[in-house]
Amino acid sequence: MVWFILRRAGSAVIVLFLASILIFLGIRALPGDPAVVMAGEEASPAVVEAIRHEFGLDKPLPAQYVDYVGQTLSGNLGRSTQDQLPVAGILAERLPVTLELSALALLVAIVVGVGAGIVAAVKRGRLPDYVATGFGLAGLSVPHFWLGLLSILLFAVTLRWLPASGYVPFTQDPGQNLQRMILPALVLGTGFAAILMRQTRSAMLGALSADYVRTARSKGLSETKVVGAHALRNSLTTVVTVLGLQLGALISGAVVTEQIFVIPGFGKLTVDAVLTRNYPVIQAVVLVTVIGYVLVNLLVDIAYAFLNPRIRLSGGRHD
Amino acid sequence: MPMAGLVLVAGFLLLALLGPVLTGDPSAQDYNATLAPPSGTHPLGTDDLGRDALARIAHGAQVSLQAGVLSTLLAMVVGIPIGLVAGFYRRWLDPVVMRLVDVTLAFPFLVFAVGLAAIIGPSLKGVVLALGFSQLPAVVRITRGEVLAIREMDYVAAAIADGASDRHILLRYVLPNCSSPLIVQATVAIPAAIIGESTLSFLGLGVQPPTPSWGVMLTTAQQYLDVAPWLAIWPGLMIALATLGFNLLGDGLRDVLDPRSGR
Amino acid sequence: MRPRLVLTLAVLPIALAACGGGGSSGTPVAPSVADATADNRAVKSGGTLNIALNADPDALDPSVSTTLVGREVFASMCEKLFDIDAQATLVPQLAAALPTVSDDGKEVTIKLRAGLKFNDGTAFDAEAVKKSLDRHRTWEKSARQADLAAVSKVSVVDPATVKLTLARAFTPLTAQLADRAGMIMSPKALETGGDNFGASPVCIGPFKFASRTSGSQIVLDKAPDYYDAAKVKLDKLVYKIIVDPNVRAANLKSGDVQVADQLATTTVKGVQADPNLTVVSGGGLGYYGLTINTGNANGSTEKPGPVNTPLAKSPQLREAFELALDRDQINKTVYNGLYEPDCFPLPADSPYRSPSLQCAKRDLAKAKQLVQASGVPTPIPVTMTTPNDATNQRLAQVIQQMTKEAGFNVTVQTAEFVSTLEQGKAGKFDTVLNGWSGRVDPDGNLSNLITSRGSNNYSGMSDPGIDDPIKEAAAATEPAKRAELYAKALQRAAEVRGVVYLYHNKYYLGMNKTVAGVQYFKDGLPRFVTAGFAG
Repeated sequence: MVWFILRRAGSAVIVLFLASILIFLGIRALPGDPAVVMAGEEASPAVVEAIRHEFGLDKPLPAQYVDYVGQTLSGNLGRSTQDQLPVAGILAERLPVTLELSALALLVAIVVGVGAGIVAAVKRGRLPDYVATGFGLAGLSVPHFWLGLLSILLFAVTLRWLPASGYVPFTQDPGQNLQRMILPALVLGTGFAAILMRQTRSAMLGALSADYVRTARSKGLSETKVVGAHALRNSLTTVVTVLGLQLGALISGAVVTEQIFVIPGFGKLTVDAVLTRNYPVIQAVVLVTVIGYVLVNLLVDIAYAFLNPRIRLSGGRHD
Repeated sequence: MPMAGLVLVAGFLLLALLGPVLTGDPSAQDYNATLAPPSGTHPLGTDDLGRDALARIAHGAQVSLQAGVLSTLLAMVVGIPIGLVAGFYRRWLDPVVMRLVDVTLAFPFLVFAVGLAAIIGPSLKGVVLALGFSQLPAVVRITRGEVLAIREMDYVAAAIADGASDRHILLRYVLPNCSSPLIVQATVAIPAAIIGESTLSFLGLGVQPPTPSWGVMLTTAQQYLDVAPWLAIWPGLMIALATLGFNLLGDGLRDVLDPRSGR
Repeated sequence: MRPRLVLTLAVLPIALAACGGGGSSGTPVAPSVADATADNRAVKSGGTLNIALNADPDALDPSVSTTLVGREVFASMCEKLFDIDAQATLVPQLAAALPTVSDDGKEVTIKLRAGLKFNDGTAFDAEAVKKSLDRHRTWEKSARQADLAAVSKVSVVDPATVKLTLARAFTPLTAQLADRAGMIMSPKALETGGDNFGASPVCIGPFKFASRTSGSQIVLDKAPDYYDAAKVKLDKLVYKIIVDPNVRAANLKSGDVQVADQLATTTVKGVQADPNLTVVSGGGLGYYGLTINTGNANGSTEKPGPVNTPLAKSPQLREAFELALDRDQINKTVYNGLYEPDCFPLPADSPYRSPSLQCAKRDLAKAKQLVQASGVPTPIPVTMTTPNDATNQRLAQVIQQMTKEAGFNVTVQTAEFVSTLEQGKAGKFDTVLNGWSGRVDPDGNLSNLITSRGSNNYSGMSDPGIDDPIKEAAAATEPAKRAELYAKALQRAAEVRGVVYLYHNKYYLGMNKTVAGVQYFKDGLPRFVTAGFAG
């Protein structure tokens, strides 16, 4: 087990290293000079040059990369070219917002998706199955942003039950905060609920027909116990895998959802930073995303190995 | 259910191929009939420049079809050879390829797409490249996984023993046996790409005006939610139906072609 | 709610930020124009005012800032040597009076108000003014260098007097000192903040900087050290960044904010219809137009070179292109009729605008004739670079349609706003839609923009008939004389057609009716010195 974790961690480090180069080069491949953007409407070439110098953009690429890695490792993420505020502080403000949104969305997805998946599998071929399957397909087919628009149209414009958008920090007013987070979380969660529902259903169906469940049934265990104790536990593997694989999609989804509902989160920060060529911020947000992805997948791998010991021998999942 | 999917997909294809012929000019502006509700002349209403929403929906189907099919093709054409080779020469090539795939997966798709759109300018070409690239890891993984399994089959071992060339084995034995999961993957990838195109266009990174795209139409509609809500309904509904069709078809195909997946 | 990514950039302050337009037919009702003098309701003390800003300001450092939203925040916390009033006339603010200028125009003496304190309690004096002006003028990262380029030396005459020595007579100087170049920063804060002054700025103003949450909000508190503190009623200002115009309007309607800046033309009507809300307009100083690359081969500040496009090569085709445009229709279709169609860069009500400047109407027949006479085979290809937000795309498509009728085939090339800015400067475009937020002094709308090798002369125009009168006007002091010179330059520019001006945007401020005492002038900066909730 230890060896397995070490091996996985080793490859995570390699991924991080490759990603850091990719981020670094990728940003610099973008047309649009951050110095020009910063200097703005009234820029003179001299000002642009001065800014370029200040941010080290006039150095050769390898030197810039060394600077970047060195500073990042020493915990210095630099200052945003947009407003001169320290990037670390900006991340500290934005990250919790998106984490809250994602956590709520995941909560929705797990409760609705896993619940519906179990019900559909247990009641296979009957009405609840069709309803759940239909929901699963619909959830997969509807684009996030359209769902967002429609829910604003319905709940905010027509019914006026909820505010259309905006964000109030949880620490400032928890009630207001949740009121404004409900719609975005539902919108973001729907797609994942659909995926989870489909995966849970098929995993449950597989498990319910497996030998050990049949054995358990024949031993006279109640159906609730069979479903609860045996089948569900095995289905967890699926859920964990899906979560790992869908993390990237969750972040992409958060970008769109935050745009529609004007939530000052990490996703919005990312898009804004790319569009303003805010190098220090882009580097930091992509790095954080990649670290998050790698970490979550490492955890997923470990969780997976615990839940399904065979994996350890074959060396990895989804291969 | 798969039949319903087939019908929806067929409807979508018909709309994309014949719709533009049957409807009028999607770019013809009429400043005296802006944001008109559905009526006899404009069955789906008009947009903010007085353009016929029906004609734009029909032409938009073409954009969606192109984005969906071309990006999936791109991912297949690039991804299958990589997956084949990686899986076949698993000792030395495989680890490198799989780490690269991990890196690609770790990148948030939208950040990549925004960056790509910035580099080559917002266009259908950019959309296809961004979507195709984002599908690449899945194609590589699936192909590689299949190759790993097929490699161990007796008939492949026999062919190797006969002294067949690697190339021959890959093309004659391995590739044909990968096709089922890849076809299923395509039915997942095409609808994802249709949604992807509309998302990018919605964010202003898609096709160029005046080309109608369902995503662009939704962007416009968003500004007039309170005065012309119908504008937001049609394009979204079309995206949902087209996607649903492919998903249903995919579920059906999976049952036939890839029974192991258990659906 | 539409994610207009471009606008989050906050670089180009103006018309871009005005989204929307189109909309239903019929003549829109122009909002009633009101200012502080029109609203003389009594204001009670206390309260927090929430203000929606249309973009995230850049660094809150007067030497560095380049955005209009940044200036909106400065208007509440960083006063300047001079200011403008409701008529856009220059008046003293931190200065005791308008400057006295020597006969040759090369020595400008400014008397300062006595007994003022910065918001950190530091005393305001001539030394502090010199320190700030020198930073604006000489710091390599300062965006103010060009504004103060004429100044060669700042000297302290006595604690209440500074003298500016100029290399050449430069009348627009007072107007520059009524903008960010005239903002005086606390010398103590400059010592501690250094290059990062903008992270925690301290000036003289009715409110002082309290905190900033990147991309979200900026909070200012009432400043106890302010010289006119008795006039200030509000306890706190919270500027909330809400980029999307529909969301800005929605927040105003829901009461989450009491003031929303730069209402989009699409949302003005809806805000006016709300019984709790009112819309005021301050007018505007800027313009929006289509820049045609006529000679920008290697960058706007480089020597002009040949550009190989039909429009660049033929002034007649440029004329035909302009004649194909119907500005009134554009205003109606794209902007709900809320802007002012025009073909010159100076606002129609500018005292420096000669009445001799008149625009031609759309003339399709003549446009076609010119196209035919040019001998260039139709359709004539034109690429138009367009920022990728919805309003600009709408404008682009209307232009596309109008010019198609005259024989042009316009291909719209959308790009992120950042890219359009850079392509403009570098000359990598055929035509580009862009604008200018405008300055109080006409020189600010012209010299960098249409004279040879100006930093924002995207078109690459280089014509002595434009350059010379503008240069001469900057040294002239008599307004009538200056107006005459500008008319001469603008007539010539209208023949060269490096820029086809389309309209002047107007600023619309949405407010809750409970708010009184807000001043909103032509610069589009709401001033909250005397603002508060009606008692």
